[in-house]
Amino acid sequence: MRRFSRTWVLVSAFILVGASAFGSGFSIFEQGAKATAMGGAFCATADDPSAIFYNVAGIAQQRHTAFYAGGTAINFANEFAGDPNDAFTSGQKGFYKRHTFVPPNAYAIVPIGSNLTFGVGVMAPFGLRTDWDDPWIGRQASRDANIKVLSVEPAVAWQSTSGVFAVGAGVEYRRGRAVLSRNQLQPNPFNGRISDVASSFLSTDWKSGTTWNVGVLFKPGTWRIGAAYRADMDLDFKGDLTVTQIPTGTPIDALVKAGLPPNQGAKTTIPFPAVASLGIATTAIPNWDFEFDLTQTTWSRFKSLTVTGDTSGVLINRNEDWDDTYSYRLGANHMVNPTWDVRFGVLYDENPEPISAVSPLLPDSDREGVTFGVGYHRGPWTIDATEFVLHFKRRSTGTANPDGINGIYRTDANLISLNLGYRF
Amino acid sequence: MRNNSFARIAAVAILALAIAVPTFAARGTADFTKFVAVGDSYGAGFESGTLHERHQVFSWPAVIARQVGLQLCLPTATATDNCFAQPLISFPGIPGNELVLNSTGTGLTIIPGQGAPEMLSFGRPYNNLSVPGFTVGATLALTGASSEPGLSPLILRGLGTEVQQAIAQHPTFIAVWIGGNDFLGAVSTGSPAGLTSTAAFAGAYNKMLDDLIAGAPNAGIVVGSLPQNFAAAPLTARLPGILLDPTGKPVIVSGAPVPLIADLGGGTIGALPSGSIVLLSALGDLQQGFGIPPAFKNIPPFNALPHVGEPLKDSQTITPAEQAQFNTRIGEYNAAIAASASAHNVAVADIKGLFDRFASSATTPILIGPFTFTNTFGTGGIFSMDGVHLSDLGYILFANEYIKAINSAYGTHIPVGSISQVFQNNDPDTKDALGLSIPPEVGAQMISIFNSVNTSAPAPPLRRRSIH
Repeated sequence: MRRFSRTWVLVSAFILVGASAFGSGFSIFEQGAKATAMGGAFCATADDPSAIFYNVAGIAQQRHTAFYAGGTAINFANEFAGDPNDAFTSGQKGFYKRHTFVPPNAYAIVPIGSNLTFGVGVMAPFGLRTDWDDPWIGRQASRDANIKVLSVEPAVAWQSTSGVFAVGAGVEYRRGRAVLSRNQLQPNPFNGRISDVASSFLSTDWKSGTTWNVGVLFKPGTWRIGAAYRADMDLDFKGDLTVTQIPTGTPIDALVKAGLPPNQGAKTTIPFPAVASLGIATTAIPNWDFEFDLTQTTWSRFKSLTVTGDTSGVLINRNEDWDDTYSYRLGANHMVNPTWDVRFGVLYDENPEPISAVSPLLPDSDREGVTFGVGYHRGPWTIDATEFVLHFKRRSTGTANPDGINGIYRTDANLISLNLGYRF
Repeated sequence: MRNNSFARIAAVAILALAIAVPTFAARGTADFTKFVAVGDSYGAGFESGTLHERHQVFSWPAVIARQVGLQLCLPTATATDNCFAQPLISFPGIPGNELVLNSTGTGLTIIPGQGAPEMLSFGRPYNNLSVPGFTVGATLALTGASSEPGLSPLILRGLGTEVQQAIAQHPTFIAVWIGGNDFLGAVSTGSPAGLTSTAAFAGAYNKMLDDLIAGAPNAGIVVGSLPQNFAAAPLTARLPGILLDPTGKPVIVSGAPVPLIADLGGGTIGALPSGSIVLLSALGDLQQGFGIPPAFKNIPPFNALPHVGEPLKDSQTITPAEQAQFNTRIGEYNAAIAASASAHNVAVADIKGLFDRFASSATTPILIGPFTFTNTFGTGGIFSMDGVHLSDLGYILFANEYIKAINSAYGTHIPVGSISQVFQNNDPDTKDALGLSIPPEVGAQMISIFNSVNTSAPAPPLRRRSIH
C-alpha cells in the first residue's frame, strides 16, 4: 500500500507537467501504449488496464490484479506562414516553442471474485499547450495558452460467468487549470510605430468537477463489440488576471497607464465534450486481432470562450462555434509468439473548428495518423512501445480571420508511447 | 446541321481564345535584378516635413525592393554593391525640423536641426531617383544642377534627369509614381491657377514613358494613378469652412452654421460658400481668430482672439467651385495616365482607389490585421504629421498597391509588405521581431528608427478650430 501511494504521488506530479492536444480539439486520446499502437481502436479489445479510459467494461475480462503505467512523449513541429496578400501577416512565420510533452497514465485493477473487477486510473484526457515562440506576429491574440487536466477515475466492471458480456462504469474526478497570456499592441502616434503596450496573464486556480463513464463489451465467438461513453462536463475556473504595462518610451505610456484595466479576479468556463466510441473487433484470423472504432466527440458544446473580470466585466469573448467530430480508427495486433506482439494502426481524426475559429489559441485541423508498436511479455511483465506519426492537414484561416491573423498553419507530430505492466 | 455544328465549335473556340488571351500584355518582365524608381516626395519617403533615412527605408520603392528580395544600401555602400540605393540623409533630415506630436498629443512640436546627405559621393545613380517637389515635367527637365532648388541637387547630383539616370542604369524594372505635384502645389495654395495644363501633363507623361521605353526597351514598367479625393489627406480633409465652438461643434445662428470669412479671390471678402475646405495650413491663423465673422468680435469666447473679423487668405481655402476645377483636372490627369499606360502596355497601380479608401476611413476604418487605421490627422496612422505625406505605414500600403498591380500584370506572386515592419518591438520578449521579414542590413538601419524621438522645441498647440 505504501508503494502504491508513492507511485500515485509520482504520477500525479508528472501529470502536472503539462500536456498538448493530440486528439481533436484539446482531447488527448493516447492513454496507453498498446491502444495507441492500434491507432486508438481499442474499445472492443480493452484487454489491458487502460480499458479504464477506452472502455471501462474491458477491465472485467482481466482476471488478475495488474498495474499498467507509462506515458506518451509528444514532439511536434508547428509552423504558421502568413498570407502573402495580407498586409499584416505577409512574410511572417510563427512556431511553437520546442516542448516535449509527456502526458502520463497509470492504472491498477483488482479482480474481486470471478465476475467483478475494480480499478482506478490516473490520466490526462484533455490538455492544450500552444506556446508561440517570440517574436510572434499573433501575440495580440495569444502568446501562450495552456489547459492542464488531471483525472482520477475509480471504476468497476462486471462480466457474465461465460465472459461473453461485460458492463462497467466509472466516476471521473477531473481537475484542471487554464493559463492564457497575450500582449496588447497599439498604434503609437508618438513614434509612428505599433508598440507592445501591455501584457496580460490570466492564470486560474485548479478547479475540479466530476463526470462519469460507462461501457459494455460483447464477445460472441471470434467477434467483439464494444461501446463506451464518457459524459461531458464543465469546469468553472476562477483566477487572477495580471496586466503589466510595457513601456514604449513615448508619451503614449501615460495614456496607456490611465486606460489599463487593473489586476483583478477573473473567471471563465471551459466545456469538455462527451466522447462516445463504438468498436468492432475480430480474431477470425488466428493470432491476429483487428478492430475498427468510430468515436464521436461533442465539441459542439464549445460555443464561445468568455473571460469575465471582476472589475472590468467581459475581457475576452470569442465565438468558437465548434462542431462535433468523428474519428475513424483501424488497428491490428499480431501475436508473433508468446513473447512478442506487433501492432499497427491508422486513424483519421476530424477537427472541430470552423474556419472562423482557427486561431493562435488552437489552430486545429484534421489529422491522419499511422502507428506501429510492439508488445513484449516476460513472466508477469509487459512492455508496450509505440511509434505514432501524426500529420495535420494544412489549415488556412481564409482571408477574414476574426483575430486578423491570416495565413496557413502546418503541424506534424511524432509520439512515442511506452507503458510498463505487471500482472500478479 | 453540319454547318451549325461547325459554327458552334468555331464560336466556342473563339470564345475560349478570347478568354485565354489576356486583354492586357504588360511590357517587359517582372525582373527586379536592376530596379529603379522615378517619383517625387512620396517616392523619396518624405514625411512630417523632412526627408531622412529613418523614413527613407519606408519609401514605397524601398518597400517594393524589400518585397522582391533586394537589400537596401547602407550609407557605406559602394557603387559595385548589389543593393537598392537611395540618397540617404541623416536624421533629422533635410530640410529638418521634423514635425512630431507633442508630449500631450494635443499638438505638434518639432525635432530641431537638420541632417546631412550620407551618400553624395555614391559612385552610380541611385536606384530610387525620386525627388521631392518634382512634377512630371521635372523628371524630364531637371538634372540636379546646383542651381536647382530643393533636394534635386542632392539626389540627382547633376548626373542627368530622373529619366536619364534611370535609363543609364539599364534597368530591368521601373516603377513610376509622378504627377502629384502637378496639382498639389495649386491645392496647397488654394488656387487652380497653379495647375499644370492637361495637355502639358499628358505630353510630359507620354514623353516620360517614351524615353524610358526607348532607353530600357525590355524593362517592366508600372505607374500609378493619382489621388482624386479631397477627403483623403488631412491637408484638405479636416477643417470645414464653418465656425466651430470650443467643443468642436458648429456654431448655429438662425438655425444654420456660420460660414467663415475669407478672401474669395481678387480681394473680394465674403462668407465661404457651403462645402468649402479650409486647408490645414490655416490652422495657426484660425486659432488667432482669422476667418471668424466680425459679428463675433464681442462674443465670448471668440472675443479673446486678436484677429476676429479678419478674413482667411485666398490661399488658405478651397471653394466648391475651385474643388470642382481641381477634380476635373485631376480626373484628366488620371485619364492621361491611363491612356499613356495603355498605349505603352504599362500596368497602373490603383493609387486613386487607395486614397478613396483613405477618404472614407473616418467611417470605414482600414482594417489591417487586428488594427484599424484612419486618415485622422496626427493619430490615424496613415499620414505623417505634415498632413500631406504618408507615414511609414502609409507608404507600405502605397507600395502594396504597386505590388498588386505588378502581380496582376505579370502573374508574379510578390508578397505584399507587412505593417509588422513598423512594430516598435519594445517588448523584451519580442524585440527581435525585425529578423522575421527584413534583411539584417535593413534591420540595422531600421533599428535606428527605434531610438525614440524626443522634442525640445516649444510646442505650438494643435487643436481643432476651437477658440478659447
